[in-house]
Amino acid sequence: MLKRVLAIITILIIGYWLAEGLANVPFGQDKMLVGQYYLNHVKEQTGAVNAVTAVVVNYRGFDTLGEVTVLFIASTGVAALLWRRKRERTAKTPGSVVLTTGSKLLFPFIVLFGMYIFIHGHLTPGGGFPGGATIATAFLLMYLAFIVYEIPHKGFETTEGLAGMSYVLVGLIGLAIGGYFLFDWIWQTWHWGTSNLGRLFSGGFIPVIYTIIGIKVGTELSGIIDNMLKEEVKE
Amino acid sequence: MAEASRISKFLYTFIVTFIIWLFLTASLDPQELTIGAIFSAIVSALTYDIFTTRGLSNLHPRRIAYAIIYVPYFLWAMIKANLDVAYRVLHPKRPINPGIVECRTVLKNEVGKLALANSITLTPGTITLDVDGDKYFIHWIDVKDSSVEGASENITRPFEKFLKVIFE
Repeated sequence: MLKRVLAIITILIIGYWLAEGLANVPFGQDKMLVGQYYLNHVKEQTGAVNAVTAVVVNYRGFDTLGEVTVLFIASTGVAALLWRRKRERTAKTPGSVVLTTGSKLLFPFIVLFGMYIFIHGHLTPGGGFPGGATIATAFLLMYLAFIVYEIPHKGFETTEGLAGMSYVLVGLIGLAIGGYFLFDWIWQTWHWGTSNLGRLFSGGFIPVIYTIIGIKVGTELSGIIDNMLKEEVKE
Repeated sequence: MAEASRISKFLYTFIVTFIIWLFLTASLDPQELTIGAIFSAIVSALTYDIFTTRGLSNLHPRRIAYAIIYVPYFLWAMIKANLDVAYRVLHPKRPINPGIVECRTVLKNEVGKLALANSITLTPGTITLDVDGDKYFIHWIDVKDSSVEGASENITRPFEKFLKVIFE
């Protein structure tokens, strides 16, 4: 009881403190410094109509590379924590015919929609991370509907590694051509798609990188799901 | 039903995913069509085996015609059934007589069974609880006939005459 009261008092003090600090930031006023620069120059500098993905992949590409690394470490960490020599699915109840047939029918559509999200990252909200997560949900659906379903591990782990390497490779090509890592060579050196703003084949290397990230995130999260759903088998 | 060849299955999946792509992008820009064709081909190559067992024979004109007619027929059944449930909710005496009945279906195809189960659930007053072989266990809000034949006549028969052509 005393613990709870103390915790509530502490949280109230912290909340008051934060509210006090935020009270001086007026809502709805133009306070953009760097933001205005992004909004004014995003089209001719990156070719993307979606300013968020331009910032995430182009202006601040390093952060995205970091995020991809974090995800990779997370999936490796889960695999390392749950590693056992012999692990199997232990679910016992098979789904009804309605569930299994429905999942089979939905699976291609979810994957296609995930691909739609990551290829249109420079035009519509979304990008590689939501697209990849959508693809992973398709595999989660298969895992939940079938008691014996397993992703093709070898293919998945190889694809994941290759996608991560391609991201770095795209950055390194930029380093060779433009002088710094993750330089957008497709847009700024080749001027590929410059006449095409707002259509699919534009946006410099954003669609390329988002395709890579989408594949990587999709395979990675599926791998995490696979690891979490398996249990150790007693011999 | 014999399984279709792999090419036929692939082509059928490709056509369906590509149509979905057209609806998603809502544009006929050649760039979108190119990427759509590539992506649909990739998705179909990976999933045709689980997506369909009969391949292109799904696209028989008679089946498509029945499927198109089935949509308004089903929507009409849905509107009628929703009004019926609204009446039961608003009626002061609440004339309900719920119970679980067993129905038999003549459908053999799994996709057909899925479509039937969903049609039954979406028309209020009936909910599919479980499907086991050709037996459907249905929760009915107003049981008029608890025998297997009678319940099938009331619940599954109206949909089956369409679904049998579409999926069998």
